[in-house]
Amino acid sequence: MVADRAGGRRPRPAHAVAYAACGVVLLAGCASMPDSGDLRGVESTPRQDTQVRVFAMPPREDAQPPEIVQGFLEALTSDDPHYETARKYLTAEAARNWRPEASTTVLANGPGTEVAHAPNRENADDYSLALTGTEVATVDAQQSYAPADGQYSETVHLTRNAKTGQWRIDLLPQGVVMGQSDFQRNYMPVNKYYFASQAEAGGTSQPAAVADPVYVRRRVDLMTQVVRSLINGPTSLLEPVVRSSFPTGTALEKGVDSLTPDDRNKLTVPLNDKAARVGTDKCDEMAAQLLFTLENLTPAVDEVELQAGGAQLCSLAEDRAQAVAARGSAQHPDYLYFIDAKNRLVRLPAGGNGTQPEPVPGALGEGDQALRSVAVSRDERTAAGVGLDGRALYVASLASGGSLGDPVLVSQGKTEQDRLTPPSWDERGDLWVADRDPDDPRLLLLQQGKGEPVEVGTPGLEGRVQAVRVAADGVRVALVVEQDGERSLLIGRIERRTKTDGKPEVTVAELRSAAPELEEVTAMSWAGDSRLVVVGREQGGVQQIRYVQVDGSTPEAPAPAALTGVEEIAASEDDRMPLVAYSEDGIVRLPSGAQWQKVTAGTAPVYPG
Amino acid sequence: MSQDSAASTPGRSGARAGRPVGRKPAGSRWGRFLEGGLLHGGVQGSPVLRLFVRWVRRPLLPVMRLWRRNIQLKVVVTTLLMSLGVVLLLGFVVIGQVRNGLLDAKVKASQSQATGGFSVAKQKADEASSGTGDDGGAVDGRPAQNVIEWMSNLVESLSSGGQGAFDVVTLPAGDDSGGGRGPRASGYVDPSASVPEDLRERVDSSTAAAQSYTRIVYSSGKDSQPALVIGKQVNDPNGDPYQLYYLFPLTQEEKSLSLVKGTLATAGLFVVVLLGAIAWLVVRQVVTPVRMAASIAERLSAGRLQERMKVTGEDDIARLGEAFNKMAQNLQLKINQLEDLSRMQRRFVSDVSHELRTPLTTVRMAADVIHEAREDFDPVTARSAELLADQLDRFESLLADLLEISRFDAGAAALEAEPIDLREVVRRVVSGAEPLAERKGTRIRVLGDQQPVVAEADARRVERVLRNLVVNAVEHGEGKDVVVRLAAAGGAVAVAVRDYGVGLKPGEATRVFSRFWRADPARARTTGGTGLGLSIALEDARLHGGWLQAWGEPGGGSQFRLTLPRTADEPLRGSPIPLEPTDSRRGRGLDEDGSPGDGSRTATVPAQQTAGQAPAIPARDPIAARSAAVPTADPTALPGNGARVVPRPASGTRRQDGSPASGAAGRPEAGPEDAKTQGEATRGR
Repeated sequence: MVADRAGGRRPRPAHAVAYAACGVVLLAGCASMPDSGDLRGVESTPRQDTQVRVFAMPPREDAQPPEIVQGFLEALTSDDPHYETARKYLTAEAARNWRPEASTTVLANGPGTEVAHAPNRENADDYSLALTGTEVATVDAQQSYAPADGQYSETVHLTRNAKTGQWRIDLLPQGVVMGQSDFQRNYMPVNKYYFASQAEAGGTSQPAAVADPVYVRRRVDLMTQVVRSLINGPTSLLEPVVRSSFPTGTALEKGVDSLTPDDRNKLTVPLNDKAARVGTDKCDEMAAQLLFTLENLTPAVDEVELQAGGAQLCSLAEDRAQAVAARGSAQHPDYLYFIDAKNRLVRLPAGGNGTQPEPVPGALGEGDQALRSVAVSRDERTAAGVGLDGRALYVASLASGGSLGDPVLVSQGKTEQDRLTPPSWDERGDLWVADRDPDDPRLLLLQQGKGEPVEVGTPGLEGRVQAVRVAADGVRVALVVEQDGERSLLIGRIERRTKTDGKPEVTVAELRSAAPELEEVTAMSWAGDSRLVVVGREQGGVQQIRYVQVDGSTPEAPAPAALTGVEEIAASEDDRMPLVAYSEDGIVRLPSGAQWQKVTAGTAPVYPG
Repeated sequence: MSQDSAASTPGRSGARAGRPVGRKPAGSRWGRFLEGGLLHGGVQGSPVLRLFVRWVRRPLLPVMRLWRRNIQLKVVVTTLLMSLGVVLLLGFVVIGQVRNGLLDAKVKASQSQATGGFSVAKQKADEASSGTGDDGGAVDGRPAQNVIEWMSNLVESLSSGGQGAFDVVTLPAGDDSGGGRGPRASGYVDPSASVPEDLRERVDSSTAAAQSYTRIVYSSGKDSQPALVIGKQVNDPNGDPYQLYYLFPLTQEEKSLSLVKGTLATAGLFVVVLLGAIAWLVVRQVVTPVRMAASIAERLSAGRLQERMKVTGEDDIARLGEAFNKMAQNLQLKINQLEDLSRMQRRFVSDVSHELRTPLTTVRMAADVIHEAREDFDPVTARSAELLADQLDRFESLLADLLEISRFDAGAAALEAEPIDLREVVRRVVSGAEPLAERKGTRIRVLGDQQPVVAEADARRVERVLRNLVVNAVEHGEGKDVVVRLAAAGGAVAVAVRDYGVGLKPGEATRVFSRFWRADPARARTTGGTGLGLSIALEDARLHGGWLQAWGEPGGGSQFRLTLPRTADEPLRGSPIPLEPTDSRRGRGLDEDGSPGDGSRTATVPAQQTAGQAPAIPARDPIAARSAAVPTADPTALPGNGARVVPRPASGTRRQDGSPASGAAGRPEAGPEDAKTQGEATRGR
């Protein structure tokens, strides 16, 4: 039997050895780190927020007045949604009357306290403190940021409660006050989007989306705050030239406290009955407004559903929102244009990394007329060029063939510096240019780039316009204005009206400084819906390139890499396009995530617009 | 208990005490608990509890049985448990060491990080205070202005150094909440919940850094996680103290630890399973042959002597199997030889008896002729002729008995059962014995014949048995009364024959049924029978499925009891008449001196031993006890194998010649029947 078994199993050991070998090989595969394998997508992990949070503490028993004020000021920097803790430092009446949302005052170094009135014998329950500091900016009740300067000085009065013997603040300024870094920690800029009210006249079916930057509290239910703010309407600065698709009186339905997108990134916004009877197009516009506004917030929103009176109005996904409204940042220029060494207009594919420019088709590319600066219309069919001496402005088609023709505008300035500025096209195809003639400084508009120039009214503007750039939304214009030897950046809104005689009347209203700290602005260009890139010099500083928001605040995005000797700069609203500058090294560009690269020789680089 | 049954009475003390202990399997304490408490429902308590116990016990019973019977299960379970214990112990040790190692490294790194952070905070405060001091050191309120923002900036700059690696929290020193020293925290840490209270107190009370373990609670809804927190009291630019804490989440360490844990758990599981499987395999290799041997042995013991183990290989198990087989073979050989021998002997006896009959008939005829003509002989020759005739009679009856016994041994005895009234049989037997009784001066009394006592039985055999008993009683009754008692109850009928003669010595109650046994070997064979009478009677009783039992005490007489089932096939459960008569000396009380009492007790000991094979629980009513006792006892008696006849009977009595017995023998007559009626107990045979 033993012999039998041994005989029967003789081939088995070979098999067993083979199996064991296979197993060992498999196990050995498991025992080492893989050097090949299947492909897999990587989910982006949200960046860890190291933001500091301040936890407000209620006032201590028997705290002295300075301590009360300090505690109150500290509570203002906390994330308390309705400042409940801060209100505990106030008397009951003051707490009732105090409206923290009225304004936010930003001081350079935070408020300092000085004793203004200490209690004396006769009036032992009376104490006042002065809050002082250097004002940097204010945010008004509409959450619109405005740079400010000057000294801040407000008085806070405290009184001792007769019953409890506790000091409380009974008189205080409305709004909240905090230091600059606390402001940056607690507030964040958000672009609300509205539609340009005059855009339809331009012939495009899509309304142009206009960014309306506001500052909202970062950690207090951001999304709901932003949606509420959007529905409430544009800030007063933009109000005359934009419209909101939300019908007047629309608000979030009562009882809605918090809006959060669901797990498919869909946000449902319940509105009250006022919005119940809007049409589908209008509703899509409303949804597009919401989508654009919430675009850069976390958690991400990919789709918006609007409800009114409990019924669904419409639902709009992000990809469809682009069809509802045009946004400057969503339009991609095809080419980067500049003037080469032969003073002719050439172009490079935008966004590429080519260095061999080709002359544009058409008259301006032939080099018959030496050019100093150019502008290409946003549809990239027409170009305008200022002659080398700055005297004449030519407009030519970018289609091949065709001649240059006569200049559409001639300046009477005596020197090159006193003649025409580089021109700028707006989104309707109108051409903006400024004449720097000291005798007759004018801001001019040529409708469709031809005809009689219309002088643009600039109420309140003093000084000469040294540069003009119209934003892609056609609602804002950025001007570099020279006055008293300082060149500052001003942003104004464009208001168009038709006069009784049929002629258009265009004015630039509400000109406000967007970069008050820069005193020598060399060049600027729009670099986003509400952002510009500016080359300038601070007082006593050196030339630098930085981004500024149209409301004058400094955006969170880091400034582009430094570059010296920048004469001109060009940026696209689409932030994927590289920044292009004309500097000592000729045309240079800054692809995202890289250093400045030299492209070629040339001057006056521009993107369409 | 001793009041309840006759069986218990003999076991006054010692004899009984040994039994329950010996009978019980010496189980473990657990087993005893289960058997005593759980398994036998011994819980004294509410019915609910008892129900619950029963409910729990039911599924446990098969498991317990399996556990008791299956050595493989025992070994595997034990191995599993032990290896599990070892793995757990190992796991704890390893995890503890890994944890300590991870923590040590983390604590060292964290401490240096935190110390650096504290010095940075101090430096910043110094810078700020010197800066503001230049501005307006004279004004008291002036330096206080920027602490709110300064503190937030400090926390931000400190925490920006280690994104995710640590978080920074500041807390006011003591309970002081004012002055711009409210809690600040980076990374959504909930400061008051995350910093333990005792650490705060410690940091408050000393300027040195202190550390503790805590659990970080996040306000952003993130899961809380364990952390190391290091805190120190630092001064702000105004010189006011505040508490600065560094919180180092131990997320990575926990992940590493859980990796180790998972690995260990997996490995441990595999090891346990592996050990269990190994134990199972090994035990199986050993247990399988053992089981086979056990089953073969069972079959061998059941008489299937040709069974053999299968032997494979040459290992120890194979040697065991071979030895076993050899043993079985030898056993079979011997048994066969013995059987052959026994068969031959029986055959020889039977043949001899038969062969002797033919010459005996001739001799008998010749002897009859001589006997007829004895008057013509001289007195000496006439006496010889008479002697010849007498001895021939004995010879003939001996031969008949031998034939009868050999018929029983050969299994050739057939029962011709029909319903008969035992009273008639008794009457016939008594009238047949009357002449002998008269001669002995004995009166035979019949009790219990008012009712018919009907049973399915072979009248001839029953009559033979009873005649044997009655004649024996008269012969050994020493002229005293012989009482024949009839009774019927519970599917059984019984006839007891009581005499008040010399009784039986201890141990004789069983021996009376042995073949050719005599109470006094010296006694002449002339008076007695062949010495086979009781053996034949016993075989007759057994043929009926009945019992024949004897009881006796020295000097107190004896009683023989025949118990028959009312219908032929029915097994017996008990007898209507107690084996020990109520007028026995012990039954009448303990008024005797030592020696007879001692004798009376030991006389019944054999019966007690046999009864021991039956379940020993003394039941409260005799019938139930019998039901438990008998059926197992009888079938072994039935086969009628000559070899087995001997050990079977119960206490029987032959007269005892001892003088103390005769002295005591007078008492039973005078002794009043004791009121105490004792039921027949489990002594089934």
